[in-house]
Amino acid sequence: MRGKIKTEGIISQSIRDHKFSKKGKRQVFLPLYTAFFFLYIFAPIVLIFIFAWNTGEGYNFPLKDFGWNWFVRLFNDRMALKALQNSIYIAVTSATVSVILGTSLTIAVIRGIKKFRALILVFLMLPVLMPSLTIGISALVFFRAINIPPGIPAVIISHVSISLSYVFLIMMGRVEGIDIEMQESAIDLGANWFESLKDILFPVLMPAMLAGWLFSFMISWNEFIVTYFLIGTEITLPVYIFSQLRFGISPKVNVISVLITVFTILTVFALQAIRKIYLKIQTRIV
Amino acid sequence: MSITAKNNKKLLYPGLIWFFVFFMLPLAVIFIYSITDSYVFAGQKLQFTLSNFVMIFQKKHYLIILGRSLKIAMITTVFSIMFSYPVSYFLAKKTRFDRVLIVILMVPFWINYLIRIFAWKLLLSENGVLNQFLLFTGIIDQPLKILYTQTAVILGLIYTYTPMMVLPLYAAIQKIDNSFIEAARDLGASRARAFFDITIKLSLTGIFAGTLLVFIPVLGSFAIPAILGGTDSVMIGNIVENQFLHVGNWNFGSAFTLALAATSIVLILFYSKIFGAESIYRVQ
Repeated sequence: MRGKIKTEGIISQSIRDHKFSKKGKRQVFLPLYTAFFFLYIFAPIVLIFIFAWNTGEGYNFPLKDFGWNWFVRLFNDRMALKALQNSIYIAVTSATVSVILGTSLTIAVIRGIKKFRALILVFLMLPVLMPSLTIGISALVFFRAINIPPGIPAVIISHVSISLSYVFLIMMGRVEGIDIEMQESAIDLGANWFESLKDILFPVLMPAMLAGWLFSFMISWNEFIVTYFLIGTEITLPVYIFSQLRFGISPKVNVISVLITVFTILTVFALQAIRKIYLKIQTRIV
Repeated sequence: MSITAKNNKKLLYPGLIWFFVFFMLPLAVIFIYSITDSYVFAGQKLQFTLSNFVMIFQKKHYLIILGRSLKIAMITTVFSIMFSYPVSYFLAKKTRFDRVLIVILMVPFWINYLIRIFAWKLLLSENGVLNQFLLFTGIIDQPLKILYTQTAVILGLIYTYTPMMVLPLYAAIQKIDNSFIEAARDLGASRARAFFDITIKLSLTGIFAGTLLVFIPVLGSFAIPAILGGTDSVMIGNIVENQFLHVGNWNFGSAFTLALAATSIVLILFYSKIFGAESIYRVQ
């Protein structure tokens, strides 16, 4: 027995060695390539950061002065502030609606129906994989037909139908992880169906719902094409950026980009933190 | 089916109705537009016609744009596979820090792509960073004219969509059992042979999934060609935008949009047929 255990230990050790041993000789290319790949992905973003603090109008090296003047000019730009305000309003509203609709949809599809499940799964995947252009155009035509004018409500409605799929995507695995017997035993013990949702499912799904909310917020916050077709005379941040970019380059865009990037990084870390908390809760339940 | 499940089923309707009214119905409306030749909701009797689709193939101008969009989408997909495969392989098999690195790699994915494209405008413009560098080092003595060409559009698209390819490839490569590769090597396969016959073949799921995530949005892109491109880089998306917001021929624009939607639906169904409906959800 003893001998056997020892051999297993040696084998797993040698497998581990095998995976990480050849770094010295031939494994220079891959790490180097990966480093270059990360550089390729991040260098342009770093460039934007550098020019956000460059006080000059142009984009020439060597840089002369660093300062905050473009930040000041951005915050005096009423159009940009209006865009920011609209973007936040649209993102918060659509994220909230999507989480409510998406969570109930997921519970129903995973723990309610058996028929048509595969079909619904394929349909719900369409907003994720279909070009936004198709979604935006069809929404534009449809809203015209039912007399909803272009504007913020139309944008919110369409953002919800896109985010719904993403919320479903996030929630699906989590709902699958909950045994329906948990809900059923609560009902056996005297809870009604609504209480079984509120007291059993809801607390377990809360972290995933929060992640879904942040995800939907980011989808809506970044969404450009659908918004562009539906926004009418209003403006959101991506639409503002696009209008600035189409006809030249303004350093104000650098400043917006910096602010959005910092905000994005914070959100990504928040999502990670939520995942960790969720994993902790999950292990405690199991 | 238990009573609880029956109750849970009720939760289906709000979301599903929303989805069908605001997502599927608009697609149906587009479909009706594409097979008629007038404004659909004016109350008059509809004349069904295929002339909108015929027009795409009759006018050389549109045919060129269609071909160009397909070409650009294919080039972008191929390059993004080539660029991201080594990275995905490294992340899946050669490092312990894969999780951290993937979180870092996802950050630009969340930064609005307009911003990332803006960075490329700074890089590629006539007195942009790239030209300044090349002139400074003496490699060229005339600034390169890359911005507002098809090359700039392709560079921008590859840059934007390559990170989308890394994740599905990484997931597929990670699943490959190392002992398959070792067995092939023990049986005398060269490193290259083992790589092409084992690793590449077993990661085909990832390659397909990544292709879905890159090919479809690139085919329908319109902001990137509008910002980085010139007259030689007009794509389907730009035609559609023009038809709907400026020209006002909704029937013809719908035909183009529908062609785009049909392409993506065919690809999605093809994928779900091969790998199963639920596996689409592993794509993300």
